[in-house]
Amino acid sequence: MQKLKGILGYTWAALLIPLVVATLFGMGDWMELLVSSTGLTVSPWFSGDVVARTVAHAGYETRIHRPVFRALIGERREGFVQVDWGPLEALPAQVDEEVDFDGDGQADFRVVLDTASGRATLTPLTEYALGLAGAYRLDDAWAVRAALKNPRR
Amino acid sequence: MQGFLLGLANGTSCVVFCAPALIPFFMHEGQDVRQNLVTLFKFLGGRMGGYLLIGLLAWGAGSLLSGAAGYQGLLLGIAYVGLAALLLAAVFRKKAPAGACAFEGARARLSRWPALLPVGMGFLAGLKICPPLLLAFTGAASAGSLAGSLVFFLAFFLGTSVYFIPIPFLGVFRRVSALQIVGQFAAVIVAVYYLVVGAILLVAG
Amino acid sequence: MTAQTETKPRKPGLGILKSLLLMLPISLLSFLFLTGGPPGGDPLRFIAGIVTWLALNTLFFLMLYTGKTYRYRLVLFVALALTLIITFAASILSTRGSLALTEADILQGKTPFCHLVIPTIIIPALFTRTIIFPGSLLTGFAPIASMLVIWAGATLALGRGWCSWLCFYGGLDEGCSRILKKPVIKSIDRRWTYLPWAVLLGVALLSAATLSPAYCEWLCPFKAVTEAAAITSTLILIQTVIFVTLFVGLVVVLPILTRRRTQCALFCPLGPLQSLANKINVFDVRIDPEKCSRCKLCMRSCPTLSLDEASLESGRTLMTCTKCGQCVDACPRKAISFHIKGTKVGIGANVARVLFLYPTFIFFSAFGGGIIASAILNVLKLVTTGRMY
Repeated sequence: MQKLKGILGYTWAALLIPLVVATLFGMGDWMELLVSSTGLTVSPWFSGDVVARTVAHAGYETRIHRPVFRALIGERREGFVQVDWGPLEALPAQVDEEVDFDGDGQADFRVVLDTASGRATLTPLTEYALGLAGAYRLDDAWAVRAALKNPRR
Repeated sequence: MQGFLLGLANGTSCVVFCAPALIPFFMHEGQDVRQNLVTLFKFLGGRMGGYLLIGLLAWGAGSLLSGAAGYQGLLLGIAYVGLAALLLAAVFRKKAPAGACAFEGARARLSRWPALLPVGMGFLAGLKICPPLLLAFTGAASAGSLAGSLVFFLAFFLGTSVYFIPIPFLGVFRRVSALQIVGQFAAVIVAVYYLVVGAILLVAG
Repeated sequence: MTAQTETKPRKPGLGILKSLLLMLPISLLSFLFLTGGPPGGDPLRFIAGIVTWLALNTLFFLMLYTGKTYRYRLVLFVALALTLIITFAASILSTRGSLALTEADILQGKTPFCHLVIPTIIIPALFTRTIIFPGSLLTGFAPIASMLVIWAGATLALGRGWCSWLCFYGGLDEGCSRILKKPVIKSIDRRWTYLPWAVLLGVALLSAATLSPAYCEWLCPFKAVTEAAAITSTLILIQTVIFVTLFVGLVVVLPILTRRRTQCALFCPLGPLQSLANKINVFDVRIDPEKCSRCKLCMRSCPTLSLDEASLESGRTLMTCTKCGQCVDACPRKAISFHIKGTKVGIGANVARVLFLYPTFIFFSAFGGGIIASAILNVLKLVTTGRMY
């Protein structure tokens, strides 16, 4: 029994060498496998979630992301929606747009954004829009996050 | 039944919010499962008190949603700072030695009123205007009669409280003294977090 | 041979020939990792790779030949931590232009991921299948998936050996712990060794409740030498004061005064996870009770407080052992050795040690060596062009 344990121990220890080599040489594949098999994504509270709808304008587009209310379990009472305008070089000096975040045909808030200074104002048009959470200059777009009340809660 | 089911559906956010304070607290106390269940009931009782206070304030302001929401930051700040203070008191209180008679000092007084801590923690946890609370009042308000509203609200409260039941079973591990020490340290860490966040909320209004 | 003739004690290391032969596979693999093969377009990159390769293999040879582990590992480990600071700064400056983290950087997933985040992301990942960290999954500098794969592979292979061989922060407090010859604070209350578990519990629960990485936001001392949020509010100012205080206290001052790795042993929340991994790792460190004289030199010298009275009785280190080799080298009776589970204690100690060093060095060459080579390249570029990147 002791001899068997010893053999197993040495075998296990020796097998770690090819395991480590496989981990390092196959890094790219392991990374892809990890993401594809688990379905992991970056939390929408940071990434702003995926783009749900785009609105085309002359030379630039408005990208309305999916609203974010995700909680550990279920949804939170409040969240936000991220709206981007880009590309930067095609934006007018001022963007003035009414945004319908939930696609129900009714505009929920109006954003006025000065693309030179980044100053933004948000006017709620329905009870679900709470206010401006922030305006950010990204690499190739201006983004605004609007604080929202969860219509499902 | 509708109130209870609504509570079950929405209660997870309550326990997620309370867990960072509750779990270290129970670990630190090092009590058995039965004693932990008693402590849990005290905590839930205090939580019910916090809910009722919010309800009274909201009804007194005349408007359930907008009146309460205006003071949300302030109430949350008070809740966080109070929770932090109680957690720290729980960790650093001197437990009364057996047979002690004349026993002075704030720490000693705390030890004579053990109920103060879990009830107080529950009360402060209940001050958070959480989604289940607003749902409860909305549902209760539509019940049609005072008795119906109270029954709806109580059933909802019971539904949300179901998720707290596993926590006292930490008492199964009470003999592992390391867990008590870990609970003590964790309670201090969580308390400092609540203290800082609560202080900022109070200052910001 | 007469009865009075003394036999010389067997040297702990291997002979020159054996050491060179065993070094060969590591040399080849590390050459591939560090230089990417024959010299390509960038001579500076090749030079940085060769210098690192030479240093790594020299130290590996010395480990094999002398039989000593700790002092050579220490050199590598401290070099890793110091060069990480250089290469991190260069990478961040080249991609973002500033070490200060802005909200726009967070939105675009430009925050590099490190292993210290792992304790905070587990519960949210299980419930929501999202990583509560503002990084990139597959692209950019230090993407999330790459660090997770490296950490998982290394943890499987080394258990808590990660903390003494691959963690690119540990060399900072370990380096500080070697400054004084004798400790000023001689004893540390053992209860403090439970603090990392409490930090783990606290940050895991808070992160699950808030869906944001509580350790990174509030407690990570290493933001003092890498990157941190730009101070734009009172909250961030308070967080900054906390992490700078923790860095000065736990990473610099206390290690100097105690000659122990106080951040790693008494605070880091990843430590408990690595300790649990030690339970399933095939390598450990054992004490031969027949040889042990209870001098307790090992207890006094262990950087992570992983030896106590009970260890001497049971012949096993605590689960917090990081396999740094300090006690193995320090024991005057050679009673302590690297060990493979299932085998007899004290028999085949050299084999166990070599089998441990092999996967460790392979990993270090690719991962740690890459960081060291990058930093050397940054310095070479600074000297030759005036810019680090």
